[in-house]
Amino acid sequence: MKRLGLYIHIPFCQKKCNYCDFYSLTCINRLSEYICAISKQIENDSPLYKDYEIDTVFIGGGTPSLVLPKDFNSLVNSIKNNLNLTQGCEFSLEANPGTLTKEKLIAYKNAGVNRLSMGLQSTNENELKMLGRIHTLDDFEESFRLARECGFDNISVDLMYSLPNQTKKDFIKSLKDVISYNPEHISSYLLKIEKNTYFGKIENSLSLPDDDEQYNTYILMCELLEKNGYMQYEISNFAKKGYESNHNKRYWLSEEYVGIGPSAHSYFNGKRYSYKSNLEEYLSELSQAGTVKKIYEAENDEFEAQITKSDEYLMLKLRLSDGINQNEYFSRFGEELLEKYPKLKSYVSLGYMKLKDNSYSFTPKGFFVSNYILTDILSFGQNS
Amino acid sequence: MTDKQKNIRNFSIIAHIDHGKSTLADRILEYSNAVAKREMEEQLLDNMDLEKERGITIKARAVRINYKHKDGEEYVLNLIDTPGHVDFNYEVSRSLTACEGALLVVDSTQGIEAQTLANAYLAVDCDLEIVPVINKIDLPSADVDRVRNEIEDVIGIVAEDCPAVSAKVGLNIDQVLDAIIEKIPAPKGDPNAPLKCLIFDSHYNSYLGVVVYVRVMDGTLKAGDTIRLMSTGARYDVVEVGHLNAFGLEKAETISAGEVGYITASIKTVSETRVGDTVTLDSNPTDAPLKGFKEALPMVFSGIYPADGARYNDLRDALEKLKLNDAALSFEPETSIALGFGFRCGFLGLLHMEIIQERLEREFNLDLITTAPSVIYKIEKTNGETIMVDNPSNYPASDTIKTAYEPVVKTSIITPTDFVGGIMDLCQDRRGTFKDMKYLDSSRVELHYIMPLNEIVYDFFDALKSRSKGYASLDYELAGYEASNLVKLDFLLNGEIVDALTFIVHTEKAYTRARKIAEKLKDNISRQLFEIPIQAAIGSKVIARETVKALRKDVLAKCYGGDITRKKKLLEKQKEGKKKMRRLGSVEVTPEAFMAVLKLDDSEK
Repeated sequence: MKRLGLYIHIPFCQKKCNYCDFYSLTCINRLSEYICAISKQIENDSPLYKDYEIDTVFIGGGTPSLVLPKDFNSLVNSIKNNLNLTQGCEFSLEANPGTLTKEKLIAYKNAGVNRLSMGLQSTNENELKMLGRIHTLDDFEESFRLARECGFDNISVDLMYSLPNQTKKDFIKSLKDVISYNPEHISSYLLKIEKNTYFGKIENSLSLPDDDEQYNTYILMCELLEKNGYMQYEISNFAKKGYESNHNKRYWLSEEYVGIGPSAHSYFNGKRYSYKSNLEEYLSELSQAGTVKKIYEAENDEFEAQITKSDEYLMLKLRLSDGINQNEYFSRFGEELLEKYPKLKSYVSLGYMKLKDNSYSFTPKGFFVSNYILTDILSFGQNS
Repeated sequence: MTDKQKNIRNFSIIAHIDHGKSTLADRILEYSNAVAKREMEEQLLDNMDLEKERGITIKARAVRINYKHKDGEEYVLNLIDTPGHVDFNYEVSRSLTACEGALLVVDSTQGIEAQTLANAYLAVDCDLEIVPVINKIDLPSADVDRVRNEIEDVIGIVAEDCPAVSAKVGLNIDQVLDAIIEKIPAPKGDPNAPLKCLIFDSHYNSYLGVVVYVRVMDGTLKAGDTIRLMSTGARYDVVEVGHLNAFGLEKAETISAGEVGYITASIKTVSETRVGDTVTLDSNPTDAPLKGFKEALPMVFSGIYPADGARYNDLRDALEKLKLNDAALSFEPETSIALGFGFRCGFLGLLHMEIIQERLEREFNLDLITTAPSVIYKIEKTNGETIMVDNPSNYPASDTIKTAYEPVVKTSIITPTDFVGGIMDLCQDRRGTFKDMKYLDSSRVELHYIMPLNEIVYDFFDALKSRSKGYASLDYELAGYEASNLVKLDFLLNGEIVDALTFIVHTEKAYTRARKIAEKLKDNISRQLFEIPIQAAIGSKVIARETVKALRKDVLAKCYGGDITRKKKLLEKQKEGKKKMRRLGSVEVTPEAFMAVLKLDDSEK
């Protein structure tokens, strides 16, 4: 059977964070209605997936941990009753400190969730406030303790760096704090100021660390995490051995996944599509037609034609520390990797990439300028 | 004087830029019914889009107007439009030679400006009857009496009863027509004498070949005659002669002494029909050509390159097409290590250069990279040889130079007195030699400087405007060559000279300019994976240095929930940007970086 990942988007938050430009709304009173509708959608769509086995489920948001146990159970029931989940299916849930209770955690656990991803972002109270988070450090510590108590043995913690006014030292303090909680997985993202966010509006008044400081922070972070047993497996993701997120990896391995919910993206049957970021339209289409209009990338995106399949493969795979295996590339595209992308080699000698076990991959230094290098390497439809 | 001549008036309109010359021409045409009002397009004489948009007349045009005066007589008025800018002084003077009188338009809110004076003096030199016309009297800040006095005091012509009009709203245009007929003399000349025509303009038409605009001074010309152009001796058979009405060419049997008209004779390029040349009959030539013919020589040079190297041929075709109508434009292929294949183009002046660049971009849809404007240097070498250098990268090594000479210009600046201090500082800073200062009235001053042209082409006009809140006006004319202490300043990126950035500068200026340009380059070169040193050097001596730090970080778009489109778009956008880059050795530079160093005025305000 073919394998598939399932992503469920829960576009609701108690409050929008100052940096966030993902699609989410604060009308939490619509949550139950929404869960009901997408549970139905999964049922309606299920014939499409009957030849597939789901081996990763990721419920993200938004703030999925706002979902009440009763609603959560009906969603999970819809998933389990209509789709084929594998035996050891990785089942992740994004859970935000401040929204978790013991009751909820027990319900998640019983429903089959086996991995929690907790958004902490910083252990510094001032930074939490500045980011517009709804929780304190104490809230996180309490949630984390409860989660362990309820038997969650695979927990990821999210961090952000290069925050306004943040020094390298400030961030390393947060990082060390997080390491001391001993989670299985750590995601650490560089803050990017997005236009349609609060930070975007006040961008000019923000004092952000300069590029060199950001770079030094990133390199130090990679070293520190590795020293503490967290191996980098993706540009921004680190895990103890055996705890990499399979769902996260499948995006970069060009494996297929289906996303449910407004703004969710899918890669299914060789095609990439998404749903519009509009809850009202999503719900009304679902109630009227039982299905939602897919926006196919190939039809709507002029870039599709430029970035070829092999370009895309490179772009995605190089997000992972394992990089690109030359044999695998050859068997997939019937041509030698270096013949198509001869420039890869030069970046090895410059220290931005490494060649190990017949695979090309970025070093941390290379990850941090990977767009620049990819722009140089990729063919964009031109023959080399 | 023949009867025919008695009722002809040949006149020009001269003015400082923006004083309303073209609008007045429109109103005259309209008033005299040459063009029905409803067919009137704004500024009919300016038929290039660019002219309309910039409100300036680039090429002279002529139009014949039939007008019934209040004395009951029918008159033929030939209006010869002249370009209003300092770059085209020679063309103005030729147009004026074709006339007996000139309307001198002065803005009643501004008064006399530098080009008002320059043009008035040209008209005086051509022995024209000058009729002042005070314009824009509809504006609240109009001060007709002050301007009248200014005209009388400064130019020394009677302005007591001159027309005061508003061309914009069409006020008192009848008085202008009266003045043309009553004050401007009718043309003289013998229609039976050997033919003597003055070429004052020409343009290329793809059906007719070159259409030559002439003023017949003596003699008569008809189709079938064989003409001779006296500067070159070239002969042509006349296909057609006629007059120029508001909408185009109107064929006629003959054109004769006193008239303004056109000739077609299957001539292929306008460069064969030099403005100022004399046309005569091959079979019965005049004994002496008209005085004052000279070839318009380019004074300002710049390298023009296609931003996309693949469009070199398009650029060449475009230049050839423009050249058909612009004898003063010169170009020859050149190669730059930095910019690839392009052309070294010569222009009459800065405005001419800007117009050509804009037309290339607009009419031919080309993206250009242009190098800093340069002038022609004359170099006496130690081996006795004398060379002319129009491209800074060809400037010889200092130890082979005995004496270097640079072109200087006589500069006239008219400014409100408030700004005199700042402007004198500017001229001083630009190596100007003060000549004299004259008060035009209690509030305005005319300054005279001798200045190196090299300083004028380098942003002088912008600096002048910014120091005078836009009020100062400038006119200049070439005044020969002067020995000067010049050096060649090179810029190196990552150790390699970028030839397109090389320029010639006076020794005293070298250091500050080197520093400024190095800073500009630093700001305009994007970070790459390695550190890029920027150096400014005279010979092997580095006089300024900046560094573009290595790129350490770029945008790490978070790809959440499998949304990889953002990343694709980002890469695609970067790729597009990269395509436009010029590769200089190992360094990639955007075209904007080359252009940014051409404009330094912001740091000089």
